[in-house]
Amino acid sequence: MSRQSNRTTDSKKMNSELFTLTYGALVTQLCKDYENDEEVNKQLDKMGYNIGVRLIEDFLARSNIGRCQDFRETADVIAKNAFKTYLGVTPSVTNWSPAGDEFSLILENNPLVDFVELPDNHNTLVYSNLLCGVLRGALEMVQMAVDVKFVQDTLRGDNVTEIRMKFIKRIEENLPAGDE
Amino acid sequence: MADQCLFDFLHMEIVSHVYKEQQSNKEQVDSKDGALCISVLESLGFRVGQGLIERMTRDSPSFKDELDIMKFICKDFWTKVFRRQVDNLRTNHQGTYVLQDNKFSLLTPLSSGKQYLDQAPKYLAFSCGVVRGALCNLGLESVVTAEVSIMPSCKFQVVIQKLS
Amino acid sequence: MAVCIAVIAKENYPLYIRCVPVQNELKFHYTVHTSLDVVEEKISSAGKSIGDQRELYLGLLYPTEDYKVYGFVTNTKVKFVIVVDSSNTSLRDNEIRSMFRKLHNSFTDVMCNPFHIPGDTIKSKAFDSIVSGMMVQAG
Repeated sequence: MSRQSNRTTDSKKMNSELFTLTYGALVTQLCKDYENDEEVNKQLDKMGYNIGVRLIEDFLARSNIGRCQDFRETADVIAKNAFKTYLGVTPSVTNWSPAGDEFSLILENNPLVDFVELPDNHNTLVYSNLLCGVLRGALEMVQMAVDVKFVQDTLRGDNVTEIRMKFIKRIEENLPAGDE
Repeated sequence: MADQCLFDFLHMEIVSHVYKEQQSNKEQVDSKDGALCISVLESLGFRVGQGLIERMTRDSPSFKDELDIMKFICKDFWTKVFRRQVDNLRTNHQGTYVLQDNKFSLLTPLSSGKQYLDQAPKYLAFSCGVVRGALCNLGLESVVTAEVSIMPSCKFQVVIQKLS
Repeated sequence: MAVCIAVIAKENYPLYIRCVPVQNELKFHYTVHTSLDVVEEKISSAGKSIGDQRELYLGLLYPTEDYKVYGFVTNTKVKFVIVVDSSNTSLRDNEIRSMFRKLHNSFTDVMCNPFHIPGDTIKSKAFDSIVSGMMVQAG
């Protein structure tokens, strides 16, 4: 094979495809196991949470970022560092609420949904719901309780993918982490 | 481009999820349920393997024979999926191949040594499926199993099913 | 521009077939089916060739009175067949090759859609629109 020069980009891209295809296989398996989209969405969120609580350690170790001063800084770190490191995309941060406790991440391109076409019988499936769980789990480990949800999704015909994040409250350090 | 560790985390969570689902009905996962879990993981891998090989072989010339395909699996495919080449390939030239990977990438997150040896099969099922799926799409029906004696070194056994 | 485009699984049943005009579908099923024999022949003879490059593009399979049939086989043994009108002399070989390339690329995307089950008929909107772009306009 005489494609030496493309080797590194190829292998990075292939890893991305491995991840995307594995995620797809997971979603379709969940659709088979559970009767309705709502249940699948919940499972994806739960699994994402479990990943998020571990991923944050990896992120903090890699990125050398200190404690964020406020929610705005958190938003920037999520978009410019976290998304960039793990998904290779940088969403834009917009639509701040007047109180500064809510914002949107706009993704032009969502690697989880490469090649995916949602069939008609899964109208309420939030395909990428794992991401919401990951963000929620990761932030909980740095003492922030947040609510995360998709408000626009290219899979459902929207132009962009929009994730809305809302700060709920600061978590006291000695409270046990929720969930399994 | 998704980072490799995202895949590692996702894979571990999938394994965990599949076993938890089985366990929710019983107190302990017995051997029959264990086999069911392995089978679910393997079939997830199978579908992924089919998709991956379709993309990977899109622009390559066609394969000469079975050995040519196995060499491709050991070099290009293994590198792209498991980040390195297979260290050793042995065959009896009658359809059985043993692929040895001394530092299998899906086992490296688990610590080396004997500690997690009995857990290893759970983390290999998906990969066996990926290999089987890839071979299936290239026209080779196979049975793929894996065994670990020393982490993270791993041996995959591929037995090509002859068409009767 | 094609009058018929078909995708055949490695087990030789159709995964996708689209014809213009639609009434001719049965006739094209027959044409495509016959062309598979030629495909098999070309694949097995290619195996004995000395050269290292084994091509995926099979070229003109056979001409009939009204049509020209072209074939392409992927490494995963899936076959694509394009049928064009004989009277269409302006269509050159490299144009046909590029049509196959587009089909192949779109097909690999379909294979990576987790909701598509390999072996099922192809029901992808993206694939449909690629094919539409290559068919002669109806009417």
